[in-house]
Amino acid sequence: MNRRKSFSYAKYGYLFSIPFIVAFILFKLYPTIYTAVLGFTDCKGLGNTNWNFLVDEPFKNYITILNNPSFQTSLKNTVELWIMNFIPQITLALILTAWFTSRRNKIRGQGFFKVVFYMPNIITAASVAILFNALFAYPKGPVNDILMSAGVLDEAFYFINNKTATRAIVAFIQFWMWYGNTMIILISGVLGINPEIFEAAEVDGASDVQIFFHITLPNLRTILLYVLITSMIGGLNMYDIPKLFSLGGPDNATLTTNVFIYNQAFSGSYMYNRASAASMIMFLIIAVLSALLFLVMRDKDEIKRKKEQKAFAKAQRALAKGAN
Amino acid sequence: MKKRQGSILFKVLVYTVCIFLAILSLMPFVIMIINSTRSTYEIQQQAISLVPSGYFMSNLEVLLGKTFDPVKGFLNSIIISVSATACTVYFSSLTAYALVAYTWKLRDTFFTVIMCVMMIPTQVISIGFYQLMYKVGMTNNFLALILPAIAAPTTVFFMRQFMLASFPMELLDSARIDGSGEFHTFNAIALPIMKPAMATQGIFSFVASWNDLFLPSILLTDNSKYTMPIMVSLLRGDIYKTEYGAIYLGLLLTVLPILIVYFMLSKYIIAGVALGGVKG
Amino acid sequence: MKKLLALLLALVMCLSLVACGGTDAPAEEPAEEPAAEEPAEEPAEEPAEEPAEEPAEESGKTVINLWAFTDEVPKMVQKYLELNPEFAEKYEVKETIIATTDGAYQPALDQALAAGGEDAPDIYCAEAAFILKYSQGDASAFAAPYDDLGIDTAAAIEAADIAQYSVDIGTRPSDGKVVGLGYQATGGAFIYRRSIAKDVWGTDDPAVVAEKIGAGSGDWEQFYAAAAELKEKGYGIISGDGDLWHAVENSSESGWIVDGELTIDAKREAFLDLSKELKDKGYHNDTQDWQDAWFADMKGEGEQGILGFFGPAWLINYTLAPNCGGTAVGEGTYGDWAICEPPVGFFWGGTWLLANKDSDVKEAVGEIIEWITLDCTETGLQYLWANGTIYGAGGTKDCVASGTVMAMSDGSVEFLGGQNMFDIFVPANQFANGKCLTQYDESINTYWRDQVRQYTAGEKTRDEAIQAFKQQVADNLDVVVNFD
Repeated sequence: MNRRKSFSYAKYGYLFSIPFIVAFILFKLYPTIYTAVLGFTDCKGLGNTNWNFLVDEPFKNYITILNNPSFQTSLKNTVELWIMNFIPQITLALILTAWFTSRRNKIRGQGFFKVVFYMPNIITAASVAILFNALFAYPKGPVNDILMSAGVLDEAFYFINNKTATRAIVAFIQFWMWYGNTMIILISGVLGINPEIFEAAEVDGASDVQIFFHITLPNLRTILLYVLITSMIGGLNMYDIPKLFSLGGPDNATLTTNVFIYNQAFSGSYMYNRASAASMIMFLIIAVLSALLFLVMRDKDEIKRKKEQKAFAKAQRALAKGAN
Repeated sequence: MKKRQGSILFKVLVYTVCIFLAILSLMPFVIMIINSTRSTYEIQQQAISLVPSGYFMSNLEVLLGKTFDPVKGFLNSIIISVSATACTVYFSSLTAYALVAYTWKLRDTFFTVIMCVMMIPTQVISIGFYQLMYKVGMTNNFLALILPAIAAPTTVFFMRQFMLASFPMELLDSARIDGSGEFHTFNAIALPIMKPAMATQGIFSFVASWNDLFLPSILLTDNSKYTMPIMVSLLRGDIYKTEYGAIYLGLLLTVLPILIVYFMLSKYIIAGVALGGVKG
Repeated sequence: MKKLLALLLALVMCLSLVACGGTDAPAEEPAEEPAAEEPAEEPAEEPAEEPAEEPAEESGKTVINLWAFTDEVPKMVQKYLELNPEFAEKYEVKETIIATTDGAYQPALDQALAAGGEDAPDIYCAEAAFILKYSQGDASAFAAPYDDLGIDTAAAIEAADIAQYSVDIGTRPSDGKVVGLGYQATGGAFIYRRSIAKDVWGTDDPAVVAEKIGAGSGDWEQFYAAAAELKEKGYGIISGDGDLWHAVENSSESGWIVDGELTIDAKREAFLDLSKELKDKGYHNDTQDWQDAWFADMKGEGEQGILGFFGPAWLINYTLAPNCGGTAVGEGTYGDWAICEPPVGFFWGGTWLLANKDSDVKEAVGEIIEWITLDCTETGLQYLWANGTIYGAGGTKDCVASGTVMAMSDGSVEFLGGQNMFDIFVPANQFANGKCLTQYDESINTYWRDQVRQYTAGEKTRDEAIQAFKQQVADNLDVVVNFD
C-alpha cells in the first residue's frame, strides 16, 4: 500500500490522464457549459444569436419547467418505465450469470446462449421500433393474429393506442435490448474474480447457491455498482424507444424526460433555454441518486478489498493445507 | 437419486428459459434476412413473414441505384468505428489505470468529474457539440466523430471498477523491480491482463459508434463521407415511395459487420480469460 | 466448441442470404453498377478525398451546393446538367441529402444556413410539413426572393399558371415576395374503386360518384350519407380516419395558430365527431396510414371492401399502384380505380425549392430553379415530370404545379381504367388552400391526432381530449393557449 502512495509515481497519474482530460474539455465540457449557460438566458428561436441573461429572475426557466404538467408526467413516466424494465432485467441477468458461471453444473451450449442474448443490443433502436410497430400493428398484425386465432381476443386490440399496453411494450423492449448487455458485464466481472477463492469455497463444501450469494455477489460489488449506476443513468435518459416507437404517446403515456427535452428544443419552438433548464434539472436528480448509490456501496469498496485479501490468504492457507 | 432428479429438473428449466430467450433474440435477425428477400409490396401487405421470397437481387439493385455508394459508406463506417473504438478502449484503459494504479492528489476529484459527465442528458449536449464543430470547421471531417471517443466516461468507469475488483497490483511492483518504465508496464503488462474488459467495452463502443446516426448525419454533409446508417436512413426518408425491401437489405448489411466484430471478440465473453488466473 | 457454434451461426446467416438471392438471379458481383450509372460521380470523389476544404478548384468549375431530403431533386438537377452541357461545363453541383426520418435534416440545414461561408447551401428543399418555417417562419430570412435570381417571377407564375396554394405557401409575408415554389401539385381527389361504386350505385361514372359523395359541397353531410348506403351493402367508405384528416386539415378556415394563439378551427374540431362517427358506425376499417392494414385495403383484402382514399396524384403512383396486387388490368385492383372531385378541396405533401440569399451563384441557381419550377416548355422539368418521360418513356405520370403544362400533357393512366387524371387534378389544385399552415403543424398535428384517437377509442370524453390537446401544445411549444 505504502509503495503506491509514494510521491514519485503520482505524476504518472496526471500524465496518463492528460489525453482524456484534453478530449474531455474540448468535446464534452465546453458543450456542457454551453448548455448550462443557456438555461439562464432567454435564448429561443432559430439561429438566435442575440440572447440575454435573465438578470431579474435567473431561475425563470427552471420554474417554468418544474411547473410544466408535461414535465411532471414525463418525470413520473421515466422513473416508472425504468423500474419496470430494470428490475426484471437485473434479476434475469443475475440468474443467467449464476447459471453460466456455475462451476459444477456446466450448461452445455452456454457460449452460444451468451453470444445470442446480447444480439438485440446490436440492432439500432430505429430498426427495433419499426419491428415492434409491425408486430403490434392494428387492426391486422402478427400479435393480434396470434391472439385472435388462439381465442384470447375476440377482436383486434389497439395496443399502441392503449396507455398501459404501450408502456408495457416499451418497458419490455428496453428489458429485451439490455438484459444481455447487463449479463455480459456481470459475467466478465465474475470471470475477473480470483478463481482460487471459488476453489477454496468448493473445498469447504459450499453449495452453488451458497457460493453465489456469499462469494460471487460480494466480489461483484464494484461491477454491480457500475451496472446500477450506468443503467440508472441510461434509464433516466431513456429516449430512443419512446421517441421512435410511440412518439411519447399515446396521451403522453411514454413521454420520458429526454423526449420532453427534445420536444422543447426541436418540435417547433426551439426553446433551447427551457430544454437546457430541463436538462440541468435531470442532471441534478441523477447526480443526487448516483451519489446515494455510491454512499451505499462505496464504503464497502475498501472493506471488500480487505475481505478479498483475507479470502485470498485463507485460500492460500487452504491450498497449503491441501498440499500437505 | 433425489439429487440427480433435481439436477435434471434444473437443466430442463435452464434450457427452456435459454432457448426461449434465444428465439426472442434471433427473431429480429431472421425477420431482417427474410424481409431483405421480399418485395416492398409483400412487406407492405404483411410486414412480418417467415417465408422468404425471391426479390433479393431487385432489392440490391434499388440499394445500388441510389445516388450514394454503399461500398464507400461501408468503408467510411469502418474507418470511423474502428478508430473510435480503438481510441475509447485504449485511452479509457489508460485513464482507468491512472485512477487505480497511482495515488494522486486530484484523483478523486477527477473521478467525480468523470461520473458527472456521464449523468448529463445527451440530447441537449449535442446542440452545443455540433455548434462547436461548425465553428471550428470540423464538419465533413471524420476526426470530429473519432477524437471525442478518447473521453468515454462510461468506459473509464467500467475499466476502473474492473481493475479495482481484479487487478493484481503485485504485478506492477515486480515490473518496477525488473526496471520496466511506467508506460511500458501499462502497455506490456496491464493491457494484456485487461483483455476481457477491453473486449466487452470494445464491442459496446463499436456497436454504439457504428449505429450512431444523429451526429454523423448532421456533421457529415458531403455525400462521399456518408456512413452506412445514414444511407439506410435516406432510404427510409423517401416518404412518398419507401422501398422497404431495400431498407431491410440495408439494415442487414449494416448489422453484418457488427456481427462479425462481435463474433471475433466473443471468445472473451464465452470463455473469458480469468484475470486472477495470471497471478498463478 | 462454443466458438464454433457462434461462427456457425454467422455462417448460416450469410448462407441463407446467398441462397435467397440465388433464387432470383445468378449471384453476380454488382459492385460495378453504380460506377456505370454515374460516371461523373466516381472520378470526382477520389481527388476530393484529401483536401476536403477546396471545392474541386482544379476542375475550374464553380460549385453549387444543393441540400435535399431525398434524391428526387438532386436527380432532376443531374438531368439539367445533362441537358445543358454548356451549363455543366461551368458549374458543378455538390449534393447533400439528409433524411427527415430521424429529425436530422432541419437542424443540419439550419446550422449550415446560419454558418454561411463556402459550404452553405445555395439551393435547398423543404417538404410540406416544414416549408412554412423556411418560407414564412423563423428561417425565412435566409431565403432569396426569386426576383433576385434573375427570374421575372410574377410574369412567369402567370404564364405557367402555377397553382395558387403553392404560391401562397412560398410567399414571404414580410415583403410579399415569392421565395419558394414546388414542381408537383398535390391537390387531392377522391380515388375510388369502380367495382364497388357499380355494386352500390349501379354506375362507376365519376360524375355520379362525385354527386353521391357531395363533391365540392364544402361539408361532409352527403359523404356520410353515402357511407351509410355503402355500409348497407357491407362496404366501408374509407380505410381509416387518417384518410379523412388530410382533407379536413387543409380545408379549414384557419390554421392552428392565429396571432400567436392556439386556435381550434370549427372544421378541425368537427374532425373529432367525424372520426367518432366513422368508428362507431363501422364506416371504415380503423386502419392507420402507412401500416399493413391500410395497404391491404388498396388490394381490397381488408375486413370489408373499401370504396376509396383521399389523395393527390403521387398517392396513386407511389402507393396505390404498387399495392393494388397487380401490374395490369384484371390483376388485383389494377384498373378498377377512378377519381372524382372531393367534398372539400385540399392538398397533401409536396416539395418546395428555395435559394440562399447569400449565394454567390444566384444566376446559376436561378436557371436551375426556373427550369424546375416555372419552365413550361416541353423541355422544362414539369413537362417531363407530368408525362413521366424524365428518365425515359413509360415513367410514372404526376401532377405538376403549372396549369399550362398540365393542359399540354396527357394524364390518362391504365391504373384508373384509362381516365385522364389531369381532368380532375387541375381543378383540384385550384381548390386547394395553402393559407392555413403554420410552422408548428408537424408537432401540433401529432398531438391532435393522438387525442382524437383517445376520444374515438372511448378512453376519454370529448372535452377531456380537447383539454389534454391544449395542455400538450402549451407545454411543448411557445404558443399562447387559452384554456376556458
